Amino acid sequence: MSRRTMSLTAGCAVMGALVLCSTSALAQAGAPIKVGFVTELTGSWAFFGNSCVAGLKMASDEINKAGGVLKRPLEFVIRDNQTNSSQALASARNLDINDKVVALSGPTNSDMSLAVYGYAEQEKLPYLVPVAAFPDLTKPGTRYTFRIEPDAAGWGYAIAKYIEQRKPGAKVAMMHSDAALMRAITAGFRYQAPRSKLNIVADILFPQGASDATVQAAQVKSANPDYVIVSGAGAFDNVMTNQLLDMGIKPGQIIHPFGITTQVFGWGSRSVGSIYGTFFDQGLDSLTKEGKNFISRFDAANGRPPSYVENYCYVTPYIFKEAIEAAGSVDREQLRNALSRLNTKESTSGIPIVFDKNGARKEYMYFMELESVNGKRNYQSKQRFYIEWDPEVIPVYELVK
Amino acid sequence: MSDANLLILLSTLSTGLILGAIFSLVAAGVTIVYGCVWLPNTSNGQFFLLAALVAWSFTSSMGWSSLAASIAVLLLGLLLAMLLELVLIRRLYDTPNRNIAYFVVTLGLTQIMSGIFSLTYAKWSDQFSLPPIIEGLTMLGPFPISNNRLLVMAVSLGVLALLFTLLRYHPYGRALRAVFQNREAAALRGVNVTAIYKLSFVLGSSIIFLGGILFALAYSFDLTVAWTMSITAFAIMIIGGPGSVLGALVVGMIFGFTQAIVSIFASPTAATFSYLGAMLVMLLFRPNGLFKR
Repeated sequence: MSRRTMSLTAGCAVMGALVLCSTSALAQAGAPIKVGFVTELTGSWAFFGNSCVAGLKMASDEINKAGGVLKRPLEFVIRDNQTNSSQALASARNLDINDKVVALSGPTNSDMSLAVYGYAEQEKLPYLVPVAAFPDLTKPGTRYTFRIEPDAAGWGYAIAKYIEQRKPGAKVAMMHSDAALMRAITAGFRYQAPRSKLNIVADILFPQGASDATVQAAQVKSANPDYVIVSGAGAFDNVMTNQLLDMGIKPGQIIHPFGITTQVFGWGSRSVGSIYGTFFDQGLDSLTKEGKNFISRFDAANGRPPSYVENYCYVTPYIFKEAIEAAGSVDREQLRNALSRLNTKESTSGIPIVFDKNGARKEYMYFMELESVNGKRNYQSKQRFYIEWDPEVIPVYELVK
Repeated sequence: MSDANLLILLSTLSTGLILGAIFSLVAAGVTIVYGCVWLPNTSNGQFFLLAALVAWSFTSSMGWSSLAASIAVLLLGLLLAMLLELVLIRRLYDTPNRNIAYFVVTLGLTQIMSGIFSLTYAKWSDQFSLPPIIEGLTMLGPFPISNNRLLVMAVSLGVLALLFTLLRYHPYGRALRAVFQNREAAALRGVNVTAIYKLSFVLGSSIIFLGGILFALAYSFDLTVAWTMSITAFAIMIIGGPGSVLGALVVGMIFGFTQAIVSIFASPTAATFSYLGAMLVMLLFRPNGLFKR
């Protein structure tokens, strides 16, 4: 081969290598940042998982239209955990090993969240839980898990503080289902009630699968409480509410620890005047312009206003965006540190988002009074009380195991 | 008796009657089908739920009244039962050990229907209810009971009474009982056993559909009710005696009242265990059921 030919060949090889490298670099620059989203698309919790995804997709579309994160699209790789703990764990593992996601998120059910929690902590994978209130998700020593929703034992604390300022020395009855969420709420309330000088006059637990609460509603009526905390699993919440109202308990005496849109519609106009706890609602005083925009767009797309479930899933992509940009990279450890240092606000309500050393958020709750219900289409509510508290104002990790 | 105690007593009676009647109805439907066709219908809970969900769809999506929705669902349920019998059930009438084959077939139906509900209704809402047919409350002494639940109670007890009368006095009912007791002897006496199989399947399934509608009118419900109902209906059938409608009625009422009464003195959780415990004890002494064929 002549020298000229050799030079030409070498030059072409160098040019080719340069082109390949720059193409690869371009491809990397445009490659999506993947976050694994393991949620309940089927099974008993499907409604919440699908509602969550609806909120999530709205936000991720907005972020990507505005240029993405670090000039890369933010992609949520959604997997169905079928409301099954084993499937949740398997999906998380699959996302980590095969899809090489930078973080995990997704479950709206506490049991599913706990199933993924163990894996995330073990594999040092940042895990942002949008909707799950079981306290153990941020027990002492947690490093990679961050929980957006306040813990359920804290809700019980907040209810006690609400009643305390409404009617000091009040008599309170509780009717609740035997589920993890309700156990945590009532544990928190039972802890705080004597400290708030409240008297628990009835504390009735229903097994899962219970159908009727007439007898217990009569027992509660006989105890003559000032307030009744009603916390049923699924449709049983409606059953208890209606049977209490039939028995002569006034709507204003009924407090629901949490209220999502479908529950409010289920309670119906008979429950006008009752109180429910929430973390986001169309009746909030603090709604931002973006929050109102989110509500109207979600309503238009889904035929109902969003509640806190959809809101938490909507703010999740924005939290990831902010943390990844603060980290400057998608390195897992740096992302974890950025989440830990995060000091921001929910764009929809202005509520601060700050995580403590265990990944629990500084906690808060609104109490809304139901003002009207328009069939299954819309409702009006008014904010009556707001409270913030530190996650460990009560011994939450000892109260609930 | 104080007003408070009277209130609790009357609420116990009403709970026992309503729950007991609905569970008796569903168990009667299951036992009629099992008694005649040897078909252990494991999908009875899904049919129960299907009726409730379709009624919900008619009221919430199409704005129908609960009464119109209930009638429509009953008619559709009747057609569905006839279609199922034509397409699937009759193919196994002459199969040896057909009860096992039916068990597997209905298990498959359970999975299919459960999957369909999971992909549809589970995404649309986490809880369902029907608007009342009759609004308002009636006071029975100090005890207020909604007129809608009174209606549900009346219809449930009325249908149970009609069913009992049919089985005891009507020629078709007597033919059903004859096949329950001894199908070969019934055939020798001129009973068209295959026609009775069809009648029993359609009648039993229709009763289960009615149970679903009545439950949805009395209570709010979610998808978990299918599983709960299925287990309860089978337990009542076994304790009452497979193929015994009287057994289904009696044990269903015992179930409803046990839950209501025990929950006064202990927790609702204890009430659930108590009736299951009572049923186990009954089985120890009468393993073939209280009213065996």
